[in-house]
Amino acid sequence: MAEVRPDEISAILRKQLSGFESEVDIYDVGTVLQVGDGIARVYGLSKVMSSELVEFPNDVFGMVLNLEEDSVGCVLFGESKLVKEGDTVKRTKRVASIPIGENMLGRVVNPLGIPVDGKGSITTEKYYPIERKALGVIQRQPVKEPLQTGITAIDAMIPIGRGQRELIIGDRQTGKTAVAIDTIINQKYTHTDEAAKLGIKPVYCIYVAIGQKSSTIAQVVAKLQEHDAMSYTTVISASASETSPLQFIAPYAGASLGEFFRDSGKHALVIYDDLSKQAAAYRELSLLLRRPPGREAYPGDVFYLHSRLLERASKLSEDLGGGSLTALPIIETQQGDVSAYIPTNVISITDGQIYLESNLFNAGVRPAINVGISVSRVGGNAQIKAMKKVAGSLKLDLAQYRELEAFAKFGSDLDKATQRTLSKGARLVELLKQGQYSPVPIERQVVSIYLGTNGLFDSVPVHDVKRFEKEIREFIEVKYNSIFERIKKEKALSDETISEIKKAADEFLTIFKKSA
Amino acid sequence: MAETKVSYRYAASLIDLALEKNTLDELSKDMELVLSAILSSKDLGNLLLSPVIKNETKKSILSEIFKNKISEDSLNFINFIVEKNREYILDSIIEKFLEIRDEKLGVVRVEVKTSVDFTDEQKVKLKEKLENILNKKAFLNFITDKTIIGGFVAKVGDTVYDASIKHQLELLRKEFLQGSVQLN
Repeated sequence: MAEVRPDEISAILRKQLSGFESEVDIYDVGTVLQVGDGIARVYGLSKVMSSELVEFPNDVFGMVLNLEEDSVGCVLFGESKLVKEGDTVKRTKRVASIPIGENMLGRVVNPLGIPVDGKGSITTEKYYPIERKALGVIQRQPVKEPLQTGITAIDAMIPIGRGQRELIIGDRQTGKTAVAIDTIINQKYTHTDEAAKLGIKPVYCIYVAIGQKSSTIAQVVAKLQEHDAMSYTTVISASASETSPLQFIAPYAGASLGEFFRDSGKHALVIYDDLSKQAAAYRELSLLLRRPPGREAYPGDVFYLHSRLLERASKLSEDLGGGSLTALPIIETQQGDVSAYIPTNVISITDGQIYLESNLFNAGVRPAINVGISVSRVGGNAQIKAMKKVAGSLKLDLAQYRELEAFAKFGSDLDKATQRTLSKGARLVELLKQGQYSPVPIERQVVSIYLGTNGLFDSVPVHDVKRFEKEIREFIEVKYNSIFERIKKEKALSDETISEIKKAADEFLTIFKKSA
Repeated sequence: MAETKVSYRYAASLIDLALEKNTLDELSKDMELVLSAILSSKDLGNLLLSPVIKNETKKSILSEIFKNKISEDSLNFINFIVEKNREYILDSIIEKFLEIRDEKLGVVRVEVKTSVDFTDEQKVKLKEKLENILNKKAFLNFITDKTIIGGFVAKVGDTVYDASIKHQLELLRKEFLQGSVQLN
């Protein structure tokens, strides 16, 4: 046991208490009329602002949501048991806000910016209110830079641009969070010197966990740490045990933090995992505040709840520094029902969606992306030329394959052309399979897809495709590394590169050993 | 709480009447008397609240109590309220009336909590100081509250001027909590 020296204590005390003034303190107060279910009605507080933070006794904070003629409706962020009728409520004169700054990176905080990872307090200079108005048309520009997820199927066919809003939707246990986490891990490359030389700007990540198990959040944080991804990531945690108001404000807090990076000319990626739980939390507190219920008992403004959040994702114009905030909202569907209220709302707000299906997942296609109905409405502009070139035929080939797949199940005799389409499709599906936490750099994706779509895999048995892909990548890396370097630098696929890939593939095919 | 809106209507019209007839002082005194009567007698409060007793009976009881003590206008007003079946919020109407009157006259009521009784000199000084800050005439109501330990707490409407030791200690506690993470 280390000894505690008295002079050390007094030094700390002096330090803590310097700047502590004892003058008359002026504040506005109100009285709690009614409290329960995480809601308090307060009399007084006559000058309070909407969404202002108020302080109850026992260090419980609340947020003003309803301003009525003779009372104020507050939601409590802490336990309602600690607040009694007749208690005094103090104004803080500060709307609910989150501390912002680079110091937030690498930390796990709650939606009010209070650290929950036990690593000490965070020193930041500024606060941003959690509710900020989305930018107008003048301040924006079209999405033009790619945000690489490192997942071949997404980067090739459902490309995401910086500043885009792409929904990840699917049933439980289909790998929605995995897609998001892989995307975060893949941003590590953007923080390297190599990327800086190529003009790729770093992407800072914010992972907002809403209504999830604390154990799941801990797992995610551990995984990010393991892959060295926490250094550029902030996790905002509103776990299932937090009160519904905290879960409700969590995504807004995440968006505000992301806007800090965006406004300082940097790039940010924010993941809302997931918005169905946030909608449920909002429904809970709306019903408690006696707002009338609508469809599926959600309040009337549940569309606005998500639209105002996702509108904040944007790509700034060059005048404003050209920063961006990309949003990847996640929605969990029930039994694949995408026509429920919340999924349809969010689908209509976002710039495209990535569908994950449980039957694909169970069939071993992982990531379980249904590329037929997944779309990206703006990301195509952001794709690098090389990827655009090879991905066009990939989409077509897969579409043809899906169409014929059903026929093939009858087992009838098929003509040569059909058989060729089927065997190529099967290989492409195999090629797009990818393990978790193993993002693939874009230049390697391009080469793999080029090989797949140009039939260079056709002589390889389907069960060997993944091994072939891995080995040929290593082969090129060792012998023909200029291919990767050139794609990285030129971002396009020149004829010269193509012929070199062909040469490498032919050479490798002769030495590749098929498994039995 | 829907009553507040109703009370405000009645109170505001009574103020208008008083200003028109220039009898604000007289009316306020009457109303203060009625309010103190209601607050001091539980039976009177129950009478006003009871829906069983007929309006005529209520009227005659009220006029018997307040006759010769308050002006005819005041009594008429009370009778009018009984007639409109609003007698159950008579107290809140009068409170609202006094509130609006204070606002009209630029007067504020300040509740001052002290740990020990202030001397008269101290009271005058505090009053002057508060009137300076608020730019209004202040009526101070002193209460002794040992729990604040020392200093004073002045409450003007929703705003609190807190110079108590209790509050200082509370601030100090928070200051310590802020630093506690660094100490670990």
